[in-house]
Amino acid sequence: MLRPLVFSAGLLLWGSLPVTVGAQDRDSLSSLTGRLASITAVTGYEQAMVDTLLRLLPGAIRDRAGNARVQLGGGSAKRLIVCPLDEPGYVVGSVRGDGYLTLRRVPGQVPPLFDQQLEGHRVTLQGRQGLVPGVVAVRSIHLTRGRDPPSETPFTVDDAYVDVGATSPAEVTALGVRVLAPVTLAKRPHSYGDGLLAAPMAGRRAACAALILAVRQSILRAKLIPPLTVAFAVEQELSQRGLGTLANELGAFDETLIVDGRPGSRGSLQQMPDSAVSVRWPRLGRVRKWSLPVSYAGTPVETVWLGDVESLREALVKWIGGDQ
Amino acid sequence: MRSWPVLLLAAYPSAMWAQQPGRITEVERVLAPLVQSYGVSGMEAPVRATVERLLPRGLRPETDSAGNLWVTVGRGEPIVVFVAHLDEIGFKVTGIQNDGSLELAPVGGLFPSLWEARPALVHTGRSVVPGVFMPRGSDAAADPKWTPPDLRADVGTTSRDSTTSLGIRVGNTLTMPKQFVRLAGARATGRSFDDRVGSAAQVIALRRLNPARLRHTVVFVWSVREEIGLEGARAVANALGLRPARVHAIDTFVSADSPREPQNFAMAPLGRGAVARALDNSAVTPPAYVDTLVALARARHIALQVGTTNGGNDGSVFAGYGVPDIPVGWPLRYSHSPAETIDLRDVASLADIIQAIAEQW
Repeated sequence: MLRPLVFSAGLLLWGSLPVTVGAQDRDSLSSLTGRLASITAVTGYEQAMVDTLLRLLPGAIRDRAGNARVQLGGGSAKRLIVCPLDEPGYVVGSVRGDGYLTLRRVPGQVPPLFDQQLEGHRVTLQGRQGLVPGVVAVRSIHLTRGRDPPSETPFTVDDAYVDVGATSPAEVTALGVRVLAPVTLAKRPHSYGDGLLAAPMAGRRAACAALILAVRQSILRAKLIPPLTVAFAVEQELSQRGLGTLANELGAFDETLIVDGRPGSRGSLQQMPDSAVSVRWPRLGRVRKWSLPVSYAGTPVETVWLGDVESLREALVKWIGGDQ
Repeated sequence: MRSWPVLLLAAYPSAMWAQQPGRITEVERVLAPLVQSYGVSGMEAPVRATVERLLPRGLRPETDSAGNLWVTVGRGEPIVVFVAHLDEIGFKVTGIQNDGSLELAPVGGLFPSLWEARPALVHTGRSVVPGVFMPRGSDAAADPKWTPPDLRADVGTTSRDSTTSLGIRVGNTLTMPKQFVRLAGARATGRSFDDRVGSAAQVIALRRLNPARLRHTVVFVWSVREEIGLEGARAVANALGLRPARVHAIDTFVSADSPREPQNFAMAPLGRGAVARALDNSAVTPPAYVDTLVALARARHIALQVGTTNGGNDGSVFAGYGVPDIPVGWPLRYSHSPAETIDLRDVASLADIIQAIAEQW
């Protein structure tokens, strides 16, 4: 039995909860969250993730912005629900003569130590022939002995040399890796504690998983779903191109709900208006944001509690069904 | 420094990587399970068990009171000793806080920044409890330094009692999950190649040599607690005393083959063979022995580089008994990091030179 959902201080109390979770629901939610958290979707290079979403949601299409979206219910939808799917990351900036690669971070806001997360760790490159493993070079601790200690200035992307095992540009090309290939930390979602899941962008991925399962459940169970557009939006971290295209192509909407992750305490789901988005995209109508609480936000071990994810799913089922 | 590497590589460009595909497969099958075993210094039992499982049949491995694993082959004098270490760097639990989190201290030399905000595994001796190495707090992140404040681990509990109920105690060790992953060509990455590669090379050499044909006694040791002061090897040295004629530490040659390193020494490129570790922070190999090793490699068509690097080696603790230490390694990039990188051909070369030393020297 999961804890009752309690909204953060200053937010509305969710009257229809607590929610109980079956083991099967939790397994499928855990599995889907882990699956999505394993996929790379660097801002502007989200199409592998979109391909996966199109397979998960029958009837979904890829729109002119690259969003995955599906229409539920009949008639003209006045409600929109959106989960952003992109993440901060890198692309290959250049290929050196010795086979090492250098990186360019995609634009967007990142935490102060975001680049440092790369140093001395495995990364995944999206090559033209598939995923390619690499590592980011780090000084050998043995070779610092007898020398000045390493600088305490944090590692930056300018210090990043990616080693894919190649010794020449030709070997890099043979791997299907070119300039602009997307690069992120290698992702292996990690379960710990009682239903905790750690991964880069775990909150956002878990929110999208909850939405997918809520949509599938609604399609199966509901006799009549009020008209609704469900979308997974690209480039939220940069220009909100995906969200803007939804507003301008399909709006005006009466209301829009954005689901995502954000720092918070386990057992609480944050619901708040998002006036900045409302102002920027007035055709979205009244915009609200439901956020899964995450700990260690913005790190490789960003953590969500699956109980919260399940509660979000249940809440979304009600919202999709027209229960406000 | 003499130009041995250039001479050797020029002399044997085609022969040295003969039978490559089969050798790479052989190396990978031995090395991967060793890399994927966990054994922070003092808790090497899982790694020792993996070595025992990989050894050829018919041998009689023995574990001494220190935890070192011994295999003795051949008969008679002189005694030649090979020693590779089983342990790896990591952390140990030094305290359990009221909120359930673990206070940690490093075991061995490491950069804490590489462990911050990563998945963690607590090894209790009875089970493995997953958790995370906690990121620094927002106050420390406001003016960030490369090195984080003291690391702690979160195992998903909220009290000391709930943590201890998982079987976690002060003194338990922590690692990070690891995988053996192939890179392009014959390259591979993982954590704890130092010294699972040495351990694997000794296993492969034992598989390939015929003990009945040996002309003297050869002792293979997989030692414990190297990373915290060569403790296991010291017990071996004391046990053997004046009897060995030579000791060969089989351990990492930390290479400067990376754009992030100064390259005034330790420049042994990956993929060009094993390395005679002729000088490090713990030992100097007598030049005549280096010459003999080079000649042996040349005669057996084995790729061998000669170089100098940093670090200590297990063979150095035999010095008090007048036993020459002739360490041999393989080039490793990014030592003691989660991204350690090697060339599997170098591991085959290392196994070959171990076999050659056992059989001919």
